[in-house]
Amino acid sequence: MKFTSRPTAVVIGLTLAAAALAGCSEEASGGGGGGSEAGACAPEDVTLVGQVRNESNPYEASWLDGGDAFAEQVGLSQQRLTYDGDSTKQQEQITQLLAGDTDCLVMNILPNGDSDTLPIVEGAQEAGAYLVTQWNKPADVDVTDYSQWLSHITYDGVDSGQQIGDALAEAIGGSGGIIALQGILDTGAAKDRFAGLEASLEANPDVELLDQQTANFSRDEALAVTKTLLTKHGDDIKGIWAANDDMALGALAALEQAGRDDVAVVGIDAVPDALTAIEDGTMTATVSSDGPWQGGIGLAIGYCVATGELAADDISDEDRAWFAEQFLITGDNVADFASPAVDEADFECGNLFSRSQGAIS
Amino acid sequence: MTSPAQADTEDVIAPRPQPRRGVSLRDAGPPIALVVIIGIFAVLSSDFRTVGNVQNIMDAAAVLAVATCGISFVLMMGSIDLSVPGVMGASAIAVALLVANNRNGNDLGLLGVLVAILLGAALGCLSGVALVGLKVPSFMTTLGVSAVGLGVATLMFAGVQPNISDEMLRGWAVNRFLGLAYLTWIAMACVLVGWLVQRYSRLGRYAYAIGGAEEVLALSGVKVAPYKVAVFTLAGSFYALAGVMVTSQLSAGLVQAGAGYDFRAITAAVVGGTLLTGGRGGVLHSAVGVLLVTVLINGLVQVGVSPYWQGGVQGLIVVAAVSAAVIPQRRRNQVTK
Repeated sequence: MKFTSRPTAVVIGLTLAAAALAGCSEEASGGGGGGSEAGACAPEDVTLVGQVRNESNPYEASWLDGGDAFAEQVGLSQQRLTYDGDSTKQQEQITQLLAGDTDCLVMNILPNGDSDTLPIVEGAQEAGAYLVTQWNKPADVDVTDYSQWLSHITYDGVDSGQQIGDALAEAIGGSGGIIALQGILDTGAAKDRFAGLEASLEANPDVELLDQQTANFSRDEALAVTKTLLTKHGDDIKGIWAANDDMALGALAALEQAGRDDVAVVGIDAVPDALTAIEDGTMTATVSSDGPWQGGIGLAIGYCVATGELAADDISDEDRAWFAEQFLITGDNVADFASPAVDEADFECGNLFSRSQGAIS
Repeated sequence: MTSPAQADTEDVIAPRPQPRRGVSLRDAGPPIALVVIIGIFAVLSSDFRTVGNVQNIMDAAAVLAVATCGISFVLMMGSIDLSVPGVMGASAIAVALLVANNRNGNDLGLLGVLVAILLGAALGCLSGVALVGLKVPSFMTTLGVSAVGLGVATLMFAGVQPNISDEMLRGWAVNRFLGLAYLTWIAMACVLVGWLVQRYSRLGRYAYAIGGAEEVLALSGVKVAPYKVAVFTLAGSFYALAGVMVTSQLSAGLVQAGAGYDFRAITAAVVGGTLLTGGRGGVLHSAVGVLLVTVLINGLVQVGVSPYWQGGVQGLIVVAAVSAAVIPQRRRNQVTK
């Protein structure tokens, strides 16, 4: 037989290779599927997987580091996955994971958006993998409907928005004009955090919201928007409320370029640069969700259930979907947060839900 | 004395449309739109018509102007370039790591800026080589190069934000000359250089010709491929400079430094009258487009349009501006399509 062209040969070769590879993975997945008898796993058989958007984001990188710290604590290692904020890529990675050995698989996942959560949950349920999700979940999906979806952890954005709002009001002496930089307007985080600011403004009637604009959570856009607002409102601006630290840092750059050092700036997320700015005194406050703890706790919940130290049925409904504690960081306590570290005691099976601030209503 | 006048009259009644008249009409659209929009905002908002705000608009336009300068050459050629976010990200991080910073002991100063721009040029060159060598459409090659650039940036980023302490680079964003930040003067210099290249160099004139009628150029014995690679390389250097400017403004190297600049630059170029089909427009058109887009964003904030409305309103005005700009060349569009 004679090939008519080289491309044909290449195509056939690739097809054969693909078929061979497919055969291999087929075999590997033969043992998996449907193993939901809790507690059947020896500790050394547990596979730990942490998945976030990307490691170029300091917060998400610290999340994976926290996962590594927990894995080391129990003598295992964590598989670090990133999907570049691409929903399709996230689903592909999950599908690949679930096609492998899923009996003792523990996944701590940051879904890209609300709509990405359900396919992941249903995949894990079918494959019998233990799943903890954080931040994003459609409001109408109930964790207790699924046996393998152990817990969903998130943070009360209203609370964090209000905390920094209050800190800002205090920093400007309880009265004066502020501007607000909102996040991506159609995200729950942006909406909740801004609602928190509005609540804070009600409690501080002498603080006036001069203007509010969106900078889409971006440092670069916040720079441009803040510069514009500084020319518009000038010296009336005493404080800047930003829905995340990246925008707060952009606002700080704008203030520096405008030669203003009399404006208080607050943000949320506690990224390293913001902590440095708070240490230097250029920024007033931020709120930390404790990324390393988030990276560890999801794996810890899954690990405790997989090894049988905690029965899935014993997790109360209130601990299936809950708000975790967050911390206001100001100049007074910034030193405690400067080097993110995890506390081993937080990940002990009897201690997993100690940071709960209540169930998500 | 009478014969030139007669010649003119003959030209006017000649059956073929007179080229000069076409040029002036075609080019007038975007500047008129710019003046109209500035006029409307100036009437509506007293905050808009201040000297401080004019400075602000010029400063805010700087980065986009440099990126758009680069993309204009590619668009003139009839290609498209989506590599802006990747190239800007890579150069933003590279320069942050090469000048004085908190991550390593480098302190290369201006040389660091130069290296970052060379990195951008190399990435641009890669786009061009893939385009002419592998005959992959520019849409795909540049998208791939953008991913490569972001990958390089992420590798260099390595989990810790590089913050710059280099006084020169930080000074570009803070220090002012005649009321405008140094960065704004750099952007204006770029537009001038871009215009000179486009107008007087063989590279610029061939870019036009490639966009207008590549086959004709090839048939007349010109080797097109090297010029295409050169155009992408030139564009890459402009994006890299834009990335350096973002780093200067934020005092930090960000992987996401160029996020969104691809479509913002293409929008600005098209609003300014550069055709996506190639062969029309250029650096000065794009500069007008950049001002149009920047004035629009600034004006909507100054006038006090709710942020929930701004995205939609911006889009509508851009579409209106583009349609207004292309009305004079509608007939020409019908001929080319």
